[in-house]
Amino acid sequence: MPVEVIMPKVDMDMAAGTIATWHVAPGDRVEKGAPLFDIETDKAAMEVEAPADGVLHHPVPEGTEVPIGAPVAWLYAEGEAVGAPQGVEPRELVAEHGTEIPLAPATGGHVPEIVSDALVGGRTSETMAVENAAADTGHLPGPEDVFRRNLDALTASRGVESLAELAALAGLPNLGALAEPRFLPDVARALGVDTAALTDPTLAPRPRATPRARALARAASLDLRTVGGSGPRRRIQAADVEAATRARAQAPPPAARSPRDGALAVTRSLGGTGTPVVLLHGFASDATSWAPLEKVLNGAPLVRMELPGHGKSAPLDVDDFAGLAGLVRRTFVDLGLDRAHVVGHSLGGALALALADTRPRSVESVTLIAPAGLGPQINGEVLAGLCRAQRVESLAPWLRELVADDAQITEGYARAAMASRADPALRAAQQRLADALFPDGVQAFDLRAALSRLDLPARIIWGRRDKIIPWHHALSAQGDVALHLFDDLGHLPHIEAAEKVGNLLRRFL
Amino acid sequence: MNAEAQLDTRELSYAEAIREAMAIALAEDERVVLMGEDIGVYGGAFQVTGDLVERFGPDRVIDTPISELGGVGVAVGAALTGLRPIFEFQFSDFATLAMEQIVNQAAKLRFMLGGAVSVPVVMRFPAGSGTGAAAQHSQSLEAWFGHVPGLKVVQPATPEDAKGLLLGALDDPDPVMIFEHKILYKMRGQVPAGRYTTPIGKAAVRRSGGDITIVATSIMVHKALEAAETLAGAGIEAEVIDLRTVRPMDRETVLASVRKTGRLLCVYEGVKTLGIGAEVSAMVVESDAFDFLDAPVLRLGGAEAPIPYNPDLERAVVPQVEGIIEAATGLVRARV
Repeated sequence: MPVEVIMPKVDMDMAAGTIATWHVAPGDRVEKGAPLFDIETDKAAMEVEAPADGVLHHPVPEGTEVPIGAPVAWLYAEGEAVGAPQGVEPRELVAEHGTEIPLAPATGGHVPEIVSDALVGGRTSETMAVENAAADTGHLPGPEDVFRRNLDALTASRGVESLAELAALAGLPNLGALAEPRFLPDVARALGVDTAALTDPTLAPRPRATPRARALARAASLDLRTVGGSGPRRRIQAADVEAATRARAQAPPPAARSPRDGALAVTRSLGGTGTPVVLLHGFASDATSWAPLEKVLNGAPLVRMELPGHGKSAPLDVDDFAGLAGLVRRTFVDLGLDRAHVVGHSLGGALALALADTRPRSVESVTLIAPAGLGPQINGEVLAGLCRAQRVESLAPWLRELVADDAQITEGYARAAMASRADPALRAAQQRLADALFPDGVQAFDLRAALSRLDLPARIIWGRRDKIIPWHHALSAQGDVALHLFDDLGHLPHIEAAEKVGNLLRRFL
Repeated sequence: MNAEAQLDTRELSYAEAIREAMAIALAEDERVVLMGEDIGVYGGAFQVTGDLVERFGPDRVIDTPISELGGVGVAVGAALTGLRPIFEFQFSDFATLAMEQIVNQAAKLRFMLGGAVSVPVVMRFPAGSGTGAAAQHSQSLEAWFGHVPGLKVVQPATPEDAKGLLLGALDDPDPVMIFEHKILYKMRGQVPAGRYTTPIGKAAVRRSGGDITIVATSIMVHKALEAAETLAGAGIEAEVIDLRTVRPMDRETVLASVRKTGRLLCVYEGVKTLGIGAEVSAMVVESDAFDFLDAPVLRLGGAEAPIPYNPDLERAVVPQVEGIIEAATGLVRARV
């Protein structure tokens, strides 16, 4: 039985809330307590946590207003068949603009008819194969005709030549698998859409829209299927497109977030062209640690994120790795980037991997430099020493543990490092973070499963003389993850050999 | 209007403005003659020519026999031989009797004779309903003539334009048909003194607004303006365009407005089907302005029926202010 996620009452006179942002994509796993979605009421915006572990399905579209107590999504157990949940009738909700949208797709059981006029030449036999497979599996993820029409239209509009090609793109075992509910997230991902785009009947392949609405959507590169229509028979008006464009430009409104919501400090490089590179530094470091690498990466737009209690980020308390990953994910979403290369070092590497796992559509590639999260061992003594040090003299020995060649830690480097750690509050916050993430000198989180299901270009860069995290953790990676191991480097390859690491990165940027 | 004419304006009725235009033309240009039934001592069916026969004599203001076909035939012949005749019909409905001369002769001769001649005849038609004159004396037939290449068709809605378009028509080398709404004859408005012309083929924006474009002709311009005032009270700003010329139509003024407002309502008194509104609508949806439409295009025109004698029915078969308000509101509020 899937777990129903309902719109909570967070404020006394609240009758309904608007789903502002989903933190989890449909088809993605979420852990109990992890941030699931943000809601906006008349008075406030706040985050709602997942009520249980599970895989998210049928989320109400962002921007929809939902009455208190009404379901907004379902969490399924891994492998559980996805349909309309038992005992839950598909129901109608009142959307923001006052029109009705059906919430959950109905379960279908019969062999759908072929709608030949909806098919492009040569696709009929393929569609039949999909339908036959659908008949075999017993049900489709939504009303069959909706699924088929949406699938067909999306396939055509995304420039995918055929359903067979789509099945290949989605990594499916065969064509018939297109109609299997468990592959719905894969198919949606291959098309670059949310699963709702395939199952939601309101997202018709060619929505009713006025010419002006179409022209505005074209100009704003907005998919009309994502816009609710306020006109007669749900026709999309210009005002609907303008509202959607505004919402996209403003969402989520950064000013509406309180510090408790925890946007992390972000700095950007000036200029640059191409896909941005998001940089996540490691524990007890900050954004300045990327400076040597940046000299090699000149040209790419860089976005540096700083972890809580590091650099310019406030010392937010997080309970565990999931909480920290949620902060990073939310900050990433706030950046509003369509796609980004993500590069992370050590703890930042683990966070980069978690981000790629939960936001695969937004991540072009991931580069993990001496990442945490791939095994239990970590040098707790060094971490504790770094946190404890209050003077250059007590910090320098621990810094030297980070690199293969002691000579790289000059007195100037140590002095600069200490200066950046002069604030006792910052050091205390880092100590608390270390206690939460690495209790008793053990990595309390394990991302090997995330690494194994990663389906985007990934590489691990490690020095074999790393004294903080054993480099052989890299060997847990599957064959499609590139491994770059350097004999003469330690835990900071991007500083110890910035040019080598930079050259590696540039191949992918 | 030219600069010197702006120096002096007075209030005149629509009929007086037309008479003043004819008097100026008669005084300035000896080629100008007036022709029509009972336009002399009687002063015209609607008293538009008035005392002109006394001022310019029966050689210049000529009563014609009760035959529109014959009268227009003489006018066309006179135009071909160098005169500038203005032919007045008693009712525009009687254009049916002169079809041969208007459509087959006046409109065609320039083309059939390879441009060697032109037919500078001006025809004036008292048109429209609202006088209780019933089916054969109340029609709005301007769209018929707008269908004929070689004719120009204008519909002045104000005293100023009634005078300016008539003088403009006299300057035109080709046949121009002026449809004057009978209800407007007594309407008063500021009219510049002296000679000026209103350009043929140029519409006028009578009221600016960003929410909806209302393209209207003749008396419907005034109904649209009245509706626009009520709409403004409801927060809807209508742009009212007085088309003024049916053929050639002012494409750019209409398209520019629709690009701005995204909504179009056509209001005209002639029968809705195959009427002026159909042409305006098609002109818009065939153009780049199509991409700016945020609602279907609507037409309000005359009912598919002859104009009834019963005053309530007569009112019911042509667009009225309330209907314009309702249609415009529906378009702006996305109900249609």
